[in-house]
Amino acid sequence: MTSQTRKILEFVLDNLVWFMLAFVLAVFSALIPNYFQTGIFTNIIEASSVLGVMSIGLALVIITGHMDLSVESVAALSAMAVGILFCSAGIGIGIKLSPEWLMVPVSLLVACAIGALIGFFNGFLVVKLKMSAFIITLASFIWVRGIVLAISGGRSAQDLAPAIRWFAIERLLGIPLSAWIAIACFLLFSVMMAKTPFGRHLVMIGGNETATFRAGIPVNRNLILAFVMAGAIAGLAGWLLAIRTSGATANLGVGLLFNAFAAVVIGGISLKGGVGGLPGVYAGVLLLSSINTAINLMGLPANYTQVIHGLLVLAAVLLDMFKQRLRARLA
Amino acid sequence: MKRLLQILLGIMAVSLAMFSPATAETKGTVYYLVPTLLDEFQTGSVSALEMFLKQTGYEMKTLNADNKTEVQQSQMNDVIALKPSAIILAAVDFNALKPSIEAARAAGIPVAEFDRQITSTPSDFTSVAGTVEIGHIASDHAIALLKNKYGEVKGKILQVLGDPGDPYTLDIQKGFEERMKAFPDVKIISVPAMQWEASNAGTIVSDQMLANPDIDLIFLHAAHLSVAAAASLESAGKKPGEVMMMSSNGAPVGLDLIRKGWLNVEVEQPLYAQAAAVAMFMDKIVGKQEIKPGEYDVLGLKSVLTIEPWGPNIKIPGAAITKENVDDPSFWGNLKPPAVAVKSVE
Repeated sequence: MTSQTRKILEFVLDNLVWFMLAFVLAVFSALIPNYFQTGIFTNIIEASSVLGVMSIGLALVIITGHMDLSVESVAALSAMAVGILFCSAGIGIGIKLSPEWLMVPVSLLVACAIGALIGFFNGFLVVKLKMSAFIITLASFIWVRGIVLAISGGRSAQDLAPAIRWFAIERLLGIPLSAWIAIACFLLFSVMMAKTPFGRHLVMIGGNETATFRAGIPVNRNLILAFVMAGAIAGLAGWLLAIRTSGATANLGVGLLFNAFAAVVIGGISLKGGVGGLPGVYAGVLLLSSINTAINLMGLPANYTQVIHGLLVLAAVLLDMFKQRLRARLA
Repeated sequence: MKRLLQILLGIMAVSLAMFSPATAETKGTVYYLVPTLLDEFQTGSVSALEMFLKQTGYEMKTLNADNKTEVQQSQMNDVIALKPSAIILAAVDFNALKPSIEAARAAGIPVAEFDRQITSTPSDFTSVAGTVEIGHIASDHAIALLKNKYGEVKGKILQVLGDPGDPYTLDIQKGFEERMKAFPDVKIISVPAMQWEASNAGTIVSDQMLANPDIDLIFLHAAHLSVAAAASLESAGKKPGEVMMMSSNGAPVGLDLIRKGWLNVEVEQPLYAQAAAVAMFMDKIVGKQEIKPGEYDVLGLKSVLTIEPWGPNIKIPGAAITKENVDDPSFWGNLKPPAVAVKSVE
């Protein structure tokens, strides 16, 4: 194999998930009536915003070799808190601030602070008490959803303040501002992971925690920070979820966790930690969203949609495994 | 460490004391097995049943199955061991609970079905609005809305189901589609919102409105789904009323959407009357007395009680809520429980 061929092959493997996305979009556009149109592609980007942001936080923790199962419930709690405070119907108490735009930073702060607090709780227990992240965050997944139910009484909040809803309605280049927020997050955190010492330290911790500690890097502090960031980012996802649905229901976001895991794995992040980057995760999120949109448009019998969804995700993951084996042969 | 353990034990003891209220004089304890609490109708049913049963002299305890059949089966087994006066069951799965119902009845504990009719085995009482009938009422209004728009019954309907694993939504779909079959010029596109999650419904509406911009009417199987649907339509630049919408269950959010002009019709499940009927007949259910068929007045609604192969079955008529009657306090979505106490049927 010439070095030129090897370079091309490595480039393809590095960006395989993007090629998969392009392939899937091309196939769906050719086979599904009405799929090939700007509006549908905009919808895919818009529908990816909540899952995308949530996947960033999850990816940060997985890269360190740990796990955060609480992100879905944290997003739901943040969405419910924003809904209760800033919705005017249902259980919303409709707080008004003057000037109105103040509601945007305040609601965002509330959502992220709730997430950061739960993230700190998770991180503290995992790091200081050396407890399993799987168990701790599984417990949080359950009790945080319980709090959503307790504070809402199972009821919904609706009619989010127009100043906050503005992000779902206004568009830039045809894409809603809420989706631009998700894109900005991916850019910001991708740069953080690739270019800052903190980002590189997280990857090192995932690769070999002991060696990283011996190299003088504050492993515990960085791990807690990773959990806090995952929580705060999940809070931001909840804020976007509330904006998207103009309120919150007690079951809002149910099922997002497994899609976030699928996106992270498809995006090339190893569940063992130490491997992967965020751009791939965004491609994974877009891929899942494209599949969902295709299922929505195909008008299939309801009972089969879950089967198709699961099989398509499995196909994507198998392809990713094939990529890793090919890469091992090239090395 | 010892101190920490003492504190933890202390907290547990205080918590247990808080959750063990003093026993009041009642005719007995009734357990309500609710399928989920992530739904306004279900949470409303807990408070309504508790209120009406208290009026007829019973204490009620609730167990939530989180929409999991196996959890509800375990709950049934646990409750049977507690020997309550009766069990009220709103089944997660209409058929999977059959052996548990039979076990409870074999142990001498009467079982009343609430909201979700189980016909595969006898129960002591059933109080339903009828999920298939909800589909029928919705179809009648869909027919009227389309006729009003075109002068004849034709057009395109987007039907947003709930989770496809939930028989409740499949029954509504069955009722809706069997009536709409008579109108071949109406095309129905049915898509499920997985796990009844609102943002899934929002995505479906966004996608379908692009793929089928000629959709005339959207029918969603729960009011909370219509909130996300309205948000998606608003984001797409639509104004209230531009696309006709209907949903079912009569939750407060649905009534708010009618007032704002987004929803044309909300098919109500008569929550208060369904719960009141159970309380009215509880003495007879617990005493295993004969329940006579006939017409009964349940909170002002004429309800028909029949003796079916699966036992006494009272059917409370569901109502269609529109802009004209949305403020009627008898709709549970207005959250104004009836002021008059219910009385046990003699």
